[in-house]
Amino acid sequence: MRVLNIKQTVRSFFSLVLVIIISGCSNNEPINIVASDYHEGVDKLTEIMVHDIFSPPVASRIYAYPNIAAYEIIAANSDEFKSLNGQIDGMPQISPASNENINIELAALIAYMDVGRTLIFSEEKMKTYRDEKYEAWKKLNKKVFDASLEYGMAVSNQIIDWKEGDMYNETRTMPKFTINTDDQSRWQPTPPAYMDGIEPAWNKIRPFVLDSAAQFIPVQHPEFSMEKESDFYKELEEVYQVSKEIDFKGDESEEIAIAQFWDCNPYVSVTRGHLMFATKKITPGAHWIGITKIACEKSDFDFENTVYANTKTSIAIFDAFISCWDEKYRSNLVRPETLINNYIDDQWEPVLQTPPFPEYPSGHSVVSGAASIVLTQIFGDGFSFDDDTEQPYGLPVRSFTSFKAAAEEAAISRLYGGIHYMAAVENGINQGYNVGELVSNSLIMKSDN
Amino acid sequence: MRVNFILIFVLLVFSCSKKEGDVFRSLEPTKTNISFSNDIVESDKLNILDYLYFYNGGGVAVGDINNDGLPDVFFSANQKSNKLYLNSGELKFEDISDSAGITGKSSWNTGAIMVDINNDGWLDIYVNAVVGINGFDGHNELFINNQDNTFTESAKAYNLDLDTYSSSTAFLDYDLDGDLDLFILNHAVHTQNSFGNVSLRYERNYESGDRLMRNDGNVFTDVSEEAGIYGGPNAYGLGVAVSDFNKDGYPDIYVGNDFHEDDYYYLNQGDGTFKESLKSYFGHISRFSMGNDVADINHDGWPDLISLDMLPEDEKTLKSSEGDDNIQTLQMRTRQYGYHYQYTRNMLFLNQERGPFMETALLSGIAATDWSWSALIQDYNQDGEQDIFISNGIPKRPNDIDFIRFVSSDKIQNKINDTRLVDQKALELMPTGNVGNYIFQGTSSLKFIDQSEKWIPRDTLVSGATAYADFDADGDLDLVINNLNSEASVLENLTNSTNYLTIQLEQNGSNRHAIGAKVYVYQNDNLQYKELYTVRGFQASSEPILHFAFSQSGQVDSIRVIWPDNKVQNIGQTKLGQKLVIEKKEGLRTYDFRKDSDETNQLFVDRTDSLNFDYTHEEDRYIDFNRQKLMPFQAGDRGPALATGDWNGDGQTDIFLGGSKFKKSQLLIQNDTGFEVVETPSINKDSITEIVSATMHDFNNDQSSDLFVATGGADFFGQSQPLLDALITRENDSVIIRKIPGLYDNASVVRASDIDNDNDLDLFIGNHIVTNDYGNLPNSYILINEAGNFKISTENDFQGIGMITDAVFVDIDTDNDEDILIVGEWMAPKLYINSNGVFELSEAIPDNLNGLWQSVYPFDMDADGDLDFLLGNWGLNSKLVASDSNPLRMYYSDFDNNGQTETIVAYFKNGQYFPSNNFDELSSQLVHLKKKYNTYSEFAGQDVSQIFDKETLDKSKILEVHKLESGFLKNENGRFIFEPFDQYLQMSPLLDFVSFDFNNDGLEEVLAGGNYFGVTPYHGRFDSFPGALINSNGDVTLTPSLGLDLSNKSVRHLKIITFADKPHLIVVNNNDKARVFEIKK
Repeated sequence: MRVLNIKQTVRSFFSLVLVIIISGCSNNEPINIVASDYHEGVDKLTEIMVHDIFSPPVASRIYAYPNIAAYEIIAANSDEFKSLNGQIDGMPQISPASNENINIELAALIAYMDVGRTLIFSEEKMKTYRDEKYEAWKKLNKKVFDASLEYGMAVSNQIIDWKEGDMYNETRTMPKFTINTDDQSRWQPTPPAYMDGIEPAWNKIRPFVLDSAAQFIPVQHPEFSMEKESDFYKELEEVYQVSKEIDFKGDESEEIAIAQFWDCNPYVSVTRGHLMFATKKITPGAHWIGITKIACEKSDFDFENTVYANTKTSIAIFDAFISCWDEKYRSNLVRPETLINNYIDDQWEPVLQTPPFPEYPSGHSVVSGAASIVLTQIFGDGFSFDDDTEQPYGLPVRSFTSFKAAAEEAAISRLYGGIHYMAAVENGINQGYNVGELVSNSLIMKSDN
Repeated sequence: MRVNFILIFVLLVFSCSKKEGDVFRSLEPTKTNISFSNDIVESDKLNILDYLYFYNGGGVAVGDINNDGLPDVFFSANQKSNKLYLNSGELKFEDISDSAGITGKSSWNTGAIMVDINNDGWLDIYVNAVVGINGFDGHNELFINNQDNTFTESAKAYNLDLDTYSSSTAFLDYDLDGDLDLFILNHAVHTQNSFGNVSLRYERNYESGDRLMRNDGNVFTDVSEEAGIYGGPNAYGLGVAVSDFNKDGYPDIYVGNDFHEDDYYYLNQGDGTFKESLKSYFGHISRFSMGNDVADINHDGWPDLISLDMLPEDEKTLKSSEGDDNIQTLQMRTRQYGYHYQYTRNMLFLNQERGPFMETALLSGIAATDWSWSALIQDYNQDGEQDIFISNGIPKRPNDIDFIRFVSSDKIQNKINDTRLVDQKALELMPTGNVGNYIFQGTSSLKFIDQSEKWIPRDTLVSGATAYADFDADGDLDLVINNLNSEASVLENLTNSTNYLTIQLEQNGSNRHAIGAKVYVYQNDNLQYKELYTVRGFQASSEPILHFAFSQSGQVDSIRVIWPDNKVQNIGQTKLGQKLVIEKKEGLRTYDFRKDSDETNQLFVDRTDSLNFDYTHEEDRYIDFNRQKLMPFQAGDRGPALATGDWNGDGQTDIFLGGSKFKKSQLLIQNDTGFEVVETPSINKDSITEIVSATMHDFNNDQSSDLFVATGGADFFGQSQPLLDALITRENDSVIIRKIPGLYDNASVVRASDIDNDNDLDLFIGNHIVTNDYGNLPNSYILINEAGNFKISTENDFQGIGMITDAVFVDIDTDNDEDILIVGEWMAPKLYINSNGVFELSEAIPDNLNGLWQSVYPFDMDADGDLDFLLGNWGLNSKLVASDSNPLRMYYSDFDNNGQTETIVAYFKNGQYFPSNNFDELSSQLVHLKKKYNTYSEFAGQDVSQIFDKETLDKSKILEVHKLESGFLKNENGRFIFEPFDQYLQMSPLLDFVSFDFNNDGLEEVLAGGNYFGVTPYHGRFDSFPGALINSNGDVTLTPSLGLDLSNKSVRHLKIITFADKPHLIVVNNNDKARVFEIKK
């Protein structure tokens, strides 16, 4: 049924184009906004985020709010989708469109871009992109565009106002993480950039669905000990041994491929003598947003369902980061690189660059766990897909039989990458599953689920 | 018509490039015939990415290779052939490279030196090479002079054909056996990805380890390991200087290492070994150490040292380049990995006769000369003071932050990942760094004047290795510079003065040029001291002469030569305006260097251990900058408190030391043999407090001493119990602690006085900052003693009087009640006159005296019978600058309206106020700036009024500082005027003073202590002040020569007490052991 609709839309779009070409610009044409327009907007936001360099938690916030703005416009004007108002604390109520000229999809896309613009640094890049779109839409139908713009911006402003109360601004001036190098169990900055721990106050950020940042505290990691028989030391030894095995297998090994595929480090600092530069990639959250796009396209999701899938997934990712970061700065555990360099092998370097925050649990594991549950709910279990998200960053396509299979690979990739112990992987993904289940079950977004 | 155009064009070109400065004229290659140009060709396989020192350039060596009396020039080229030019007089040269046999065979040549290695009286040439990486082959080459303008490469025969990563060579007779040994500097290619442990330096790495090569009679033996020379894989050696730094007759070596390996200070032990002693003699060092030079710049006969770095002066370049580490990274590197304190700027180290070097580059005005390679200290303008020439430039700036963050990732990353090759076009996107060279005029003080715009032609060349010589034999020093991708520069010195004396030394046998000789020249009691080492600056050697010049014409009174074998030869009055050849005489006596280090005038004898004076203050881990990221200085490190008094009633002075947060306070009870540490569990049960100031008196008139403790620490905030100040009394052998209600502020000082003349002691409590709200002015209080209970005085309103650091009660108007002088940061000293227990602000102190005042001490400085006030300020050895007309500013406001205030310190530079914080620091706190500025170059060069809109600035409060100098308020009949102290007292913040007749001359002197470490790496570390005695005649004596070295200690308290009827000095330091010194009678 849905597939048919889209085909019809596509067909009518082409005939429309034909009509425009023949009849010239009458400035009274329908503006058709389709799923690919939304994906393009999301990709644009991702591109700017990569340029601007946002840490993974902050990036998750930049994905979530624009999606919510777009989604609320859809929900306010649809019977199929339920507003998050009343489901998320403090979430404002969005009025339905009051003007018949308003194109709901257009207004949603406008709101998406506008909320997104306020969250990134390089606003000019978003404005340039937006203005080009605006011009085209205006040419097609000024009346519809103006009405949709007015509505979209009004909703955008509501969401922006709401967003302002999420403690993001306040956390900017909260204390930096204080390093204690006397206590070997505590996290320390890692080579090569020795950056300060990022976002130590992220657990103060207002979650969407979690009742608090501490709702899903994972089980304790093995108690820190450098005694060789201790569980902790065994896990440390495991990281080292796995990396030795990988070294033995060489650069072409499957483990290297997995580690690099899921690196998702937005800022890898490279130093060569006096020359320094950065290699930049998308964040873990962005990778799962990429998977969402793949799933939407494979399922031929229309605009509305695309917005829905993106929104629910980005909410899960957002709350997963809060949950994860809460534990990271609670357990405050040292990275394997620090201990291996100090106790086992001072020349050792992990396959991946150790990211600048405490070890436990693995952020990618929590986020992947959460996202995979929500995506499974939306697209079904056993949903296989070819993941080409990292292709723009020079990485190959990997294929997965399900979202959970992808999440499990993402989680274990951190062990292969030499940046996490096994406990952070295993307990992290479970923590993510918990967040994902909560989001899946407590947010009722479609009338049919 | 066309001809006219060409003419105009030619004129334009000539008028645009100024070839002549007031002191130096750049000579055209067509005139000199020196067309050498060190051209390097970048390729996919060889560029800055593959070889980190791709831009370091070649070498230059100057010396008279044909013994015709004129210095000749040798250039080494990285990739091209070396060149040798014979000086044919009148600044014309002849290229004899092809016939001379010196063109060289190595792939990548670096430093070049001239030295008579085989003692035949003819200069040979030694050229370093980098071999073994990037496909570079060859070896260091030794061109032995055939005495006919040709040379024979003979490195192998001398065992000097090293195939390592060699950058430069110095020569010295380290074992005083009469011949010249070599120190070969190698550079590392070790990963910069991780710090690695300092213990790496104890390893021996063939390619990277430096080498000491002993001359065993025309063959050289590697004695590095047995001599104690480090040979690790992590030393990026770029600078080497030889000097007898400690003047014991044996030459020492300073090695400047790039990146995070420390520099090395090798002290020659006189037994064939060296002891690396950097940390004992240097408080901090340059981080990216490049070239260096040694010379006595302050006429005290001790060699001083400059070590170059790469701090840009230009505001735009400064703010778009990577700067210093953040404070936590620095702490990790120093505390955990064992490296020394390193900061990105040039360092000027003044050699003290005893104790560590004093680092004065900021005070001296030479800290920022951008990407600097060579420093040569000489008297270029011949006025009797040493000047400094600094060569400068880099083709591309790899530390440009936009390039690192934004440009590189787009353009470089994929290509590197795919091919490990780099796109040359991507490298081109780095900004260029071809800034002009610097020259500084020396003065009779420690200050240097930047004369770069006036003395030398301004160019845009990338200049590296530099050598000096008197090419035209006119008595002044000319310069020759090896430039990258441009013809070499020959700078003719235009000084026309006969106030010079050039000395050439000659001795028979080996080392005929007497390398290593020391020469003292006196004119009217003014000493100039030089050592003859020709390897100076960077990858270069200069003419083997000693050049002196003088402010007065005529003659010098005497010359003393100490030959390399330490025989001394004295020469009487000598006419100026000549080149004097001094030949070594027979039968000379050996010089006794102990004369230079007189041990007899030691006033202070350390008794800490023998008196069991056992207190070590341990600062807690709190870092103010982690809480308030833009705070300029810490406030949590102002302790410990010191109070003295007779605690146990035995008539002897006991000592209370108030500890930091979570650390115990301590009582040291004096007994007949020393001091006994007495545990006071009841006091320490409250060790959560940070006691910053304390005073011991009998407050409740029960004939026993009580303590009043004022607490702070800057960490606790709001109405936290640990912030409450407290009175500690004893009743029936138990200690009672009574917190004073309402006193929650971060105290800095408590002082007692009977304010209201009721025969009990009242208190002033000065408060420093408001926690989490730096810039807000806290309230200070007068507490009135009412039968042992303290009540806040309502009559004396000291609300918001400033960020108080110190105060003193003194009866300045001699009306039999005590008045109070209060000092603090971002404020002027305030004098309050007591009339019947009520204080009124006096107008006797000028109001343009806002400072960063740290301490006040009443003392009759000018011996006119009335009391003056000594004031410790921030000092001048700082990046901060302030004046009456252009004060240092601190903007205070909630800039981002998030309920949290921020402060922005801004300094005045070229007519504008620039923030002292870089973009990362500012935007970490004020995130909206990242929206305003998407790149670092957009932000760089913006002043405060451009960064913030008018409305934001209008609502902010501006705190100001007019004076950074320490000095004293001179009492002139009740009015006060400010007189700054001597420059040596401006080395660091001064934290305390104490007066006493230390030298038993019947007059009191003042001892000043200072240093402060609670600043970000941007400011560096104020560790160089060794303590000073201000004598009654105003002269300043640095106290290491008196047996008291306070360098590298952040002094909080100086106090005189009596032990066993003898005066003793107590020195209490922050985060360090307290010490007690007997003052000798």
